[in-house]
Amino acid sequence: MENQKFYYDNKIVKLFILATMVWGVVGILVGLVAALQLAFPVFNFGLEFTTFGRVRPVHTNAIIFAFVGNAIFAGVYYSMQKLLKTRMFSDRLSKFHFWGWQTVIVLAAVSLLAGLTTGKEYAELEWPIDILLALVWIAFGWNMIGTLIVRRVQHIYAAIWWYLATFLGIAILHVVNSFELPISLFKSYSIYAGAQDAVVQWWYGHNAVAFFLTTPFLGLMYYYLPKAANRPIYSYKLSIIHFWSLIFLYMWAGPHHLLYQALPEWAQALGVTFSIMLIAPSWGGMINGLLTLRGAWDRVRDSASLKFLVVAVTAYGMSTFEGPMMSVKSINQITHFTDWTIAHVHIGGMGWNGGIVFGMLYWLVPQLFKTKLFSEKLANIHFWMSTLAILVYAIPLYWAAVTQWLMWREYTPEGFLAYPNFLETLTQIVPMYTVRVFSGVLFLGGFVIMLFNLAKTMGAGSFVNNEASEAPALVLEGKRNAVAETIHRWLERKAVRFSILVFIALSIGGAVEIIPMIFIKSNVPTIETVTPYTPLELEGRDIYISEGCYLCHSQMVRPFRWETDRYGEYSKIGEFVYDHPFQWGSRRTGPDLGRAGVIGGPMYKNAAWHYNHFMDPQKMNEQSIMPNYAWLAVKNVNLGQTPKKIRAMQTLDVPYEDGYDAKAVDDLMAQGQKISDELKTAGIEIEPQKQMVALIAYMHKLGRDISAGVDPADATAAEPTTTVSDTTGLKQVTLLTNAEDLAAGKKLFQATCVVCHKADGTGIPPAFPNLVDNEWIKGNSPSQVFHSISEGNIAKGMVPYKTMFSEKQITQLASYVLTELPNENSK
Amino acid sequence: MSEEKNKVTEHDPVTDHEYDGIKELDNPPPRWIMLLFYITIGWSILYGAYFFWLKQGDHQDAEYVKKSAQHDEKYHITALSTDDMVAFTDEAALTEGKEVFTAMGCMACHGLNGEGNAIGPNLTDNYWINGCNIKDVFNVVKNGVPAKGMTPFKSQLSDEKIQKVASYVLSLVGTNPANAKAPQGEECKEESNS
Repeated sequence: MENQKFYYDNKIVKLFILATMVWGVVGILVGLVAALQLAFPVFNFGLEFTTFGRVRPVHTNAIIFAFVGNAIFAGVYYSMQKLLKTRMFSDRLSKFHFWGWQTVIVLAAVSLLAGLTTGKEYAELEWPIDILLALVWIAFGWNMIGTLIVRRVQHIYAAIWWYLATFLGIAILHVVNSFELPISLFKSYSIYAGAQDAVVQWWYGHNAVAFFLTTPFLGLMYYYLPKAANRPIYSYKLSIIHFWSLIFLYMWAGPHHLLYQALPEWAQALGVTFSIMLIAPSWGGMINGLLTLRGAWDRVRDSASLKFLVVAVTAYGMSTFEGPMMSVKSINQITHFTDWTIAHVHIGGMGWNGGIVFGMLYWLVPQLFKTKLFSEKLANIHFWMSTLAILVYAIPLYWAAVTQWLMWREYTPEGFLAYPNFLETLTQIVPMYTVRVFSGVLFLGGFVIMLFNLAKTMGAGSFVNNEASEAPALVLEGKRNAVAETIHRWLERKAVRFSILVFIALSIGGAVEIIPMIFIKSNVPTIETVTPYTPLELEGRDIYISEGCYLCHSQMVRPFRWETDRYGEYSKIGEFVYDHPFQWGSRRTGPDLGRAGVIGGPMYKNAAWHYNHFMDPQKMNEQSIMPNYAWLAVKNVNLGQTPKKIRAMQTLDVPYEDGYDAKAVDDLMAQGQKISDELKTAGIEIEPQKQMVALIAYMHKLGRDISAGVDPADATAAEPTTTVSDTTGLKQVTLLTNAEDLAAGKKLFQATCVVCHKADGTGIPPAFPNLVDNEWIKGNSPSQVFHSISEGNIAKGMVPYKTMFSEKQITQLASYVLTELPNENSK
Repeated sequence: MSEEKNKVTEHDPVTDHEYDGIKELDNPPPRWIMLLFYITIGWSILYGAYFFWLKQGDHQDAEYVKKSAQHDEKYHITALSTDDMVAFTDEAALTEGKEVFTAMGCMACHGLNGEGNAIGPNLTDNYWINGCNIKDVFNVVKNGVPAKGMTPFKSQLSDEKIQKVASYVLSLVGTNPANAKAPQGEECKEESNS
């Protein structure tokens, strides 16, 4: 048969490689900033655009979609052409894919930093970008299927099965999860609410991991590992079994992100069981990879590329065992909401994805540029830095996770929470966050070394945009010979039928979980007392979403005693029916806010507390790592959009009365005025239409409705004044230094304070704090001590002395406590 | 090199598959991985059957109720009803009540012997601001009187301990300590304390 001449498109591969290199630096750097922010809140820079809540989605999106995404496309465009012996189907589609994808990335970065987000993890991009993303993705798929059709190879190799599953999987996930109702170019609401939204979102979230971070990488492994090692694939049969079982089972496992949460039990059970069943199919990939290296291990020693690939496959094996274990309910209560999950994904991200990308690049770049790698030694250094970085990342965070979990559930012998203050459990693990920063530095350093190495390699080589090759035209075989050809072998030469089967395998899991959640009413039992958000609360909620509060605060109290004691009644499915989107969160860097609005509950704080806390969290709690949100007191709610938002909610079946949109702004202002008046009594001047007021209103709505039936007398008998101590902006106090005042202070101290704090100030720990050590619960500035004496802390037994002593006397006392008392003690 | 390659794979069945130089061997999947797969499938079926068909095993609401009860039992947390509550009079309970009184720093406001001070009222006279039977005192200790500065102790003390400290407080009536604060509130008309 006569050979046909054709040219491989190497240029598109090069473009994607360059983009991978650029976005990799950006993604890791942003991750490093986020890590710094959690260790040292000063790195939030006091700007609204650079708070952790906005930076973190930029990191995740940059790593997943920009760095990993471009790397996938580079690997796919190169290997597909070689495996199918043809140029990509359409240069135009290739180009549109490349530039479209980079546009999506830039728009994503800008919009996320600007606070434009849907509030759904890993699907944060607003609707216009979602649409662009869908178009680009379709171009990719069209190009891929077109290339399959014009191929010159009879059978489709395993790597390409995985590429197909990637295209189809992501297409299904992205479309279903992105149904949003736009109210403007920059804002939309998820059409799903509460538990339904949660099921859809984590079906998406989990499978974005599957079909963006796993299946394409298995495809890359099936090409680049045997190429780099020059070994045959160990088992063709294993390829088939683990491919079909993995893509089918993965789609069911999403609810394992929602265990012990407000989700029907059957959905949780599917999440648990399908995750467990995923171990073997996942390990099938690892084994086929590792066994392919039999007889080539000596080469691993000499090749950084192979080293990366081996560590990648090993990390994949670890992650895919750890993941199912984390999906068992009893283990999930440890790993969920702690840093365990964060460590888990970084083993996957840095080890598996990073490893495959680096291993691929070290092999592919010299291939493309027809030269040798500039320095194998530098690549080795990169390998060791990278591997060390994974350990320095994961070990401290595992440690942190277990520590924090143990502290959350620790009880005193009396049966009360040993660490009732959430902050204590965070402060304990912040040193681990500092260690993590070093991991980021190592990983970034290694990456930069790779950039240098690859740039040098490119410089030394010669690159051909269009690489000539030739192969005979494909004559498709006819009917299946039932004896000589297995059904699967037959299917491998039927690209379209193969794709349809993949599509069906992918669709079943999501359909079985999502359709009943939406259409069977009993899955979401309603609660009569739960009311829609007022316009002000709705605006406040949008600010909460926009600032990415859900990235550190959950709104999901799980049915554990140690959670209900800390936060209040556990969350019920029916409470979230007006939540478009749901905001349950996935990590508690700060406390759960699901019951922040329950007056008399353990999480309730009054408006003035919230105001002061948003203005400067560190002033309220020195050790807090929350960024400040001072601009919320300056910026106005966009009242022009409020009626539109109400109408959008009505479209989504939220029962506002007809024509309520016309009254919404008046209602909003009236409610804002109330909060503004309340703040005034605490000496805070703020106009009712400020964003801060809306956010406070939202805080006070959270979880409140479920206890609406409670006798209001009970509510007031509970501790409404526990927060009074924090109401006013702190009075400026200057310490008194003359002997007379200090003597008066001493006299007062001995008359009043010694009962609890002892004459030498050492207190009766833990009930009554030591005043002469260096630890201060409420701060040790003159103003803070004055404040503590004056306002007290009724919940802890500290009496507010403002009614008994004059300000002068309190100042004398504070001066004595801060200046003479420690000296007396040291004598 | 090719010699070594042959050595390792000489027993491997080969397929005629080749893609861009990549060959595929016809090895069966290792038996243990298939076994693992079947075991996980079996486990999943049993898991589903156990919870949803046999209806064994607690769903999370029931599990919470059960675990919470165990918790209460472990820490002797019993929500006491004040309806028929009687003050303890036995020595052991009153001693324990006194320990709570000291440990929680009640003396900060009520004096070492309950005589009261600039902050809190005298507990040893027969005049009471918020009621003088065990039920009233129990409620004051438990829920506090936040407006007046009395701390609610419900998040720090079990009901049982509150009952004991309340009994101790009632036992102080008539002890006439030194520096007693002037009476406040109304004289107790009940014979509730002994």
